[in-house]
Amino acid sequence: MRGPDVVWYLGVAAVMFSTGALGVLLRRSPLIVLLSLELMLNAANLALIAFSRGHGGGAGQIFALSVMAVAASEVVVGLGLIVAMARRKLALDVDKLTSLRG
Amino acid sequence: MTEITTAWICLFLPLAATVAIALAGNALGRRAAGLLATGAVACSFVAAAVSFVSLLGHNPSSRSHVSTAWSWLTAGSLHFGLSILVDPLSVFMMLVVSGVGALIVGYSIGYMHGDDEERRYFAYMAFFVFSMLLLVQGGNLVLLLAGWGLVGLSSYLLIGFWHERPSAVAAAKKAFVMNAFGDATFALALFLLIAKTGTLDYQAVFTSAGGLSTAVLALVSLGLLGGAVAKSAQLPLHTWLPDAMEGPTPVSALIHAATMVTAGVYLIVRMSPIFELSPHVQDTAAALGAFTLVAAGLIALVQTDIKRVIAYSTMSQIGYMFLGAGLGAYASGLFHLLTHAFFKALLFLAAGLVIHALAGEQDIRKMGGLRRLMPKTYACFLVGSLSLVGIPPFSGFFSKDPIVAAASARGDAFGWMMYVLALAGAGLTGAYTFRLVFRVFGGEPSGFVRETFDARHGEGPLVMLVPVAALALLATAGGWLQVPGGWSAVSDWLRPVAAPLVEATTSQEALASALSVAAGVAGVAVAWWIYSARRAPAPEPWPELEHKLYFDELYDAVFYRPAATAARLLLALVEGPLVGGSIEGLSGGVRRLAALTRRLQTGLVRTYALALAASLAVLAVVFIAVR
Repeated sequence: MRGPDVVWYLGVAAVMFSTGALGVLLRRSPLIVLLSLELMLNAANLALIAFSRGHGGGAGQIFALSVMAVAASEVVVGLGLIVAMARRKLALDVDKLTSLRG
Repeated sequence: MTEITTAWICLFLPLAATVAIALAGNALGRRAAGLLATGAVACSFVAAAVSFVSLLGHNPSSRSHVSTAWSWLTAGSLHFGLSILVDPLSVFMMLVVSGVGALIVGYSIGYMHGDDEERRYFAYMAFFVFSMLLLVQGGNLVLLLAGWGLVGLSSYLLIGFWHERPSAVAAAKKAFVMNAFGDATFALALFLLIAKTGTLDYQAVFTSAGGLSTAVLALVSLGLLGGAVAKSAQLPLHTWLPDAMEGPTPVSALIHAATMVTAGVYLIVRMSPIFELSPHVQDTAAALGAFTLVAAGLIALVQTDIKRVIAYSTMSQIGYMFLGAGLGAYASGLFHLLTHAFFKALLFLAAGLVIHALAGEQDIRKMGGLRRLMPKTYACFLVGSLSLVGIPPFSGFFSKDPIVAAASARGDAFGWMMYVLALAGAGLTGAYTFRLVFRVFGGEPSGFVRETFDARHGEGPLVMLVPVAALALLATAGGWLQVPGGWSAVSDWLRPVAAPLVEATTSQEALASALSVAAGVAGVAVAWWIYSARRAPAPEPWPELEHKLYFDELYDAVFYRPAATAARLLLALVEGPLVGGSIEGLSGGVRRLAALTRRLQTGLVRTYALALAASLAVLAVVFIAVR
């Protein structure tokens, strides 16, 4: 096998995932939250493909493809929501959206 | 077999009319509904008459036929067919029910004209006739019980017909509850019969009854007597009948005078083989009848509502029938049932004409002097009254006196006691009946009458007058069916079903007739003295009679109040703390728990995300640690 060991890839994926998770937790702009989510999903993709190469099976790659499809649809819905919020002149701040509070 | 086919037709025509009126709804005109019901009942009468003529063609010993349509009820080894019994007794009752029924339903077309719910009324009336026919035609005791319950139901529906009046609803409920008590004892008697004989077919029961123990026979006949007493409003289950006068007057005439309340007499005669095996119970029936006829006569003396007077008179006359059936003079009891159906329906319908003309007023203290304003009604009412008192040649004379004579024919002390009571009842009948006649029709028109009576209205439409006239004719001539010492058409007809236990000799008949006519005339004279000639002031009514001998108060104290108190106690001690408390505790607990957990729902997306991330981290740590 050529190239770096799987562990390196996983390390990169972990850093990406943590960055994304921190972004989701800490940022308040919905746009940035969506971006961070994408980051997390792509970290997962990287890990899947790394494992796929490491084990020599194709399943991880196929799984990564479907994660991309999910990510794309999630972005469509998320961006649609953000556009709708902007149209209604709502503040683009996730902390202001608390109508589900019990 | 003509008589069987026509008997089935007779039974189901009124039911068909009920179903048709109920299904057609507003598509059927009000008048058309009335005509349909009347026509169906009249056709029933024709069918019954054909059955009668056809039975006449048979030998007296082969006049009993059972026809089974299909197997109706199967329970274990018991099979009950939907069957009818066509024999002299049931045909006799069919003729009375459908004949008087047709006249009264026809009269209702005029009486109920303009009521809001005429169609419902006629549907109920036709349904009642069906139920009553089922009662008298049922080929086994189960169908008899079914008819028994259905007449109770239709009586309930018709007493409460004006359901916007609270008093009518209360009266209907009272009638239903008291009848249900009788139904229960009746059903218990049937259970006992099933347990001991394994069948409820008349013939089979009668055949195997001889082998039963005295105690069982006494219990069975007591249960049957309980049903009969409740349905026929005899002491001590009579209090519902006067209240039942809340229903429309034709209902009182048909159900609470002519037919349903006489079902008890029919039951005793039909089950006479059982009653004869327990003579003490049969004597009880006679004694109850005798006491009822005196007590009801006394109460009728002080009532002020025209319909209630006639209602107490009905109780009193059914007392005579019970006396006859209890003494074993079955044909006399049933003959009195027949003539009573004529003259009592006549009295009720004539009273209905008066009530109709006086805008619904029923208080006789406000009436007076109607003789000149309503001459035809007066004539008919007088015929009914004379017949009721038993003045010859009207029908009551021929039918009441044989019952009195039967009491003397029995000969023992019990018989003589019944004799005296029956004669006392005859005197009372004269007094209360003619008190009514003199108060309502005699004298000068009262202020209320002059104010209310509308000469243009007249006595009533033709559709109401014709049935009254027909009944007046029957009340006059009906008695001649059977003349003591002459001929005995009714007794001969009924002999195959219920042969009499006692038969009075001609001299006993003559003595009883003379005494009871004398008593009746004496009663009339007293009423004349007080209410027409006014030679004596009307005596103050005894409070005991005004309170109807305190039966209502007694039942209120013995049954209603303890039950109500117990219910209140249970509500306070069991329902409140235990049932209500546990439910409230449960719901309160859930509510408090929910108040705690809802705090977790902050609505902030980032807290949810943090929770997700944190739990994922915990899970990851756990998995790593466990491995």
